[in-house]
Amino acid sequence: MPVEVIMPKVDMDMARGTVAAWHVEPGATVAKGDPLFDIETDKAAMEVEAQADGILHHPAPEGTEVAIGQPVAWLYAEGEEVGDAPAVSAPEAQPEPEEPAETTVSEPVSPPSPTENIRATPRARTLARDANIDLATLTGSGPRGRIQAEDVPQAREEVPATFTAQTGALHVMRSKGTGTPLVLIHGFASDSMSWKPLEAHLKNRALIRIDLPCHGKSPNMRVGSFADLVKTVRQTFDDLHLDAAHVIGHSLGGAVALALADTRPRSIASLTLIAPAGLGPDINEAALAGIARATKPESLAPWLKTLVHDESLINDGYARAAMKTRLDPHMRAAQAALAHAVFPDGTQAFDLKAALHRVSMPTRLIWGRSDKIIPWQHALTAPGPVALHLFEATGHLPQFERAEGIGKLLQSAL
Amino acid sequence: MNMQNAPDIRELSYAEAIREAMDIALGSDERVVLMGEDIGVYGGAFQVTGDLIDKYGPDRVMDTPISELGGAGVAVGAAMTGLRPIFEFQFSDFATLAMEQIVNQAAKIRFMLGGAVSVPLVMRFPAGSGTGAAAQHSQSIEAWLGHVPGLKVIQPSTPEDAKGMLLAALEDPDPVMIFEHKILYKMRGPVPEGHYTIPIGKAAVRREGKDLTIVATSLMVHKALAAADDLAQNGIDAEVIDLRTIRPMDRDTVLASVRKTGRLICVYEGVKTLGVGAEISAMVAESDAFDYLDAPIFRLGGAESPIPYNPELEKAVVPQVPDILNAATELAQGRL
Repeated sequence: MPVEVIMPKVDMDMARGTVAAWHVEPGATVAKGDPLFDIETDKAAMEVEAQADGILHHPAPEGTEVAIGQPVAWLYAEGEEVGDAPAVSAPEAQPEPEEPAETTVSEPVSPPSPTENIRATPRARTLARDANIDLATLTGSGPRGRIQAEDVPQAREEVPATFTAQTGALHVMRSKGTGTPLVLIHGFASDSMSWKPLEAHLKNRALIRIDLPCHGKSPNMRVGSFADLVKTVRQTFDDLHLDAAHVIGHSLGGAVALALADTRPRSIASLTLIAPAGLGPDINEAALAGIARATKPESLAPWLKTLVHDESLINDGYARAAMKTRLDPHMRAAQAALAHAVFPDGTQAFDLKAALHRVSMPTRLIWGRSDKIIPWQHALTAPGPVALHLFEATGHLPQFERAEGIGKLLQSAL
Repeated sequence: MNMQNAPDIRELSYAEAIREAMDIALGSDERVVLMGEDIGVYGGAFQVTGDLIDKYGPDRVMDTPISELGGAGVAVGAAMTGLRPIFEFQFSDFATLAMEQIVNQAAKIRFMLGGAVSVPLVMRFPAGSGTGAAAQHSQSIEAWLGHVPGLKVIQPSTPEDAKGMLLAALEDPDPVMIFEHKILYKMRGPVPEGHYTIPIGKAAVRREGKDLTIVATSLMVHKALAAADDLAQNGIDAEVIDLRTIRPMDRDTVLASVRKTGRLICVYEGVKTLGVGAEISAMVAESDAFDYLDAPIFRLGGAESPIPYNPELEKAVVPQVPDILNAATELAQGRL
């Protein structure tokens, strides 16, 4: 009677493993303790030793997935007759007899009931139970597919059509450092945190980040027009009482920075506009709307990918982290209203080309040649004194995709 | 905190705050006596007692012989017969020498004599690593005593708490063990004037947050707060709870926080296994707050190692700010 070589359980959560490679050929003699085959689970690869002496026959083909406890080969005694692979002895709990070893994939020994087999946190289970949702219908975003609270649909508020307009000062985050401070103004549907990659290359510089209305930690204000938006930011800038500042703005924040420089020329030492709005009529309305509308990482990710040249930068973790900053439905509604005010009908409803010709402080434009949100060709309206830095293979977020290059540029220029 | 009646806030070091509490107690209650090795003329191994002997004399600020078992026995007996002794160990590590008196006598006498006698004893234990004092002078053994019914075990983390909780301990009819982290002795902070108490068994929420709960003890409270500031820079809003007392533990404060945040990290300097964090974790897992957990509970405790003498290794075997930062970031972003 040949001895079964079984797929061992090497990990608590393991239901099946893959025979990755055999160390011995069929018909070879092995001794107990000899390395027999390698298995792979979703977590690890390991070597399995022979549990008995014998001659190996009927090995499962390499690459075959086998449930734990099921045979992957048989060891025969010297002189024992080798025919077809023996039928698998059915375990007691087995509801129906197992198929022979030639089967490429065996079923788990005793399939647990669906809900028992689902990985979900206690909080997700509580929320799903309260909302009468079957966990089996959900997709988990946690480690190894664990369902977490944010994966339970009813756990999220629906987007309100309206929002309660708030008032108050814009949120300002300052970091200590030397020299003339850098004032950073982020773009639409972003916040001050988005400067982090660039900040890593601006060590020791005094930084002042302003959250635009309805963004980050600033109040969800009713903003009626681009002029309204500039007025609010200008008030915040004035309240900082800076003698001099280098102002850096991205996208919508770039347009705000330019308008600010136009009216506060004496306190702005230089102007850096990264893929700014305001220099032409076209803008990718679908992407803006898609980002503003998204309520989960899966629907946000495709739109985030339009922001960059290298889409692999937008992985699941990035999308999840980005969604986390956009969970407040009131904020999303407020941003949608803001977008409607400044980009009605998918058009940039404000024109800052004249302002770009008026400003006299050193000014530079930075643009990615693969920008799919605002065409880089808008930069060509700039007058001679404005420096133009075009980055190849870069999308709408040069400060993210080319953080080091732009950091160096700013460190030497400012 | 009970600061309404003591509006004059000035800064003292943690050691000065303890000395002030003992001074107030000695001055207002003639039953109070201090006992311990070198606490008199020398002022204590960490200069906590200071010059109190000059003010109150050697009958009330008593140097005891180099026998922790003998000294602790005298303190237990003095407490049973009407005094209010405060007994100082030079290092908490030396409590091992006095375990008989602490565990078998002080903790049990009230029960074994049917409540006829209590042991109103306060013991002070300079504890923890970070001073380069190696394996036998750097341990955090508070969980050992936390395992004994009949004792109360506290770990004040601020000068204000050190004074208020010591004065509360003196009002307690039963033995109270105070673990004072040696690194905290020089830390300064606001301390109200005069007599006030801070209740034993009540945790403090040092920082409110919504994304995760960090329950920490003693010096780790300050590391957790430093980590929480960094976390805030990354948009993660951590709640930091200073447990303050490990026996009896403030269940309500911890559970309320976990119900709010759904995520829990326990940070403590004692050895991780079978330690304070295990108790906190089990308390949450056994309660209704379990249903609110949205991630596994995470413990950061001391390594399975004696405290090494090498300063780098000494740092490596206890949780540090970056450890807390990493764990909290992973946890808050749903990766654990």
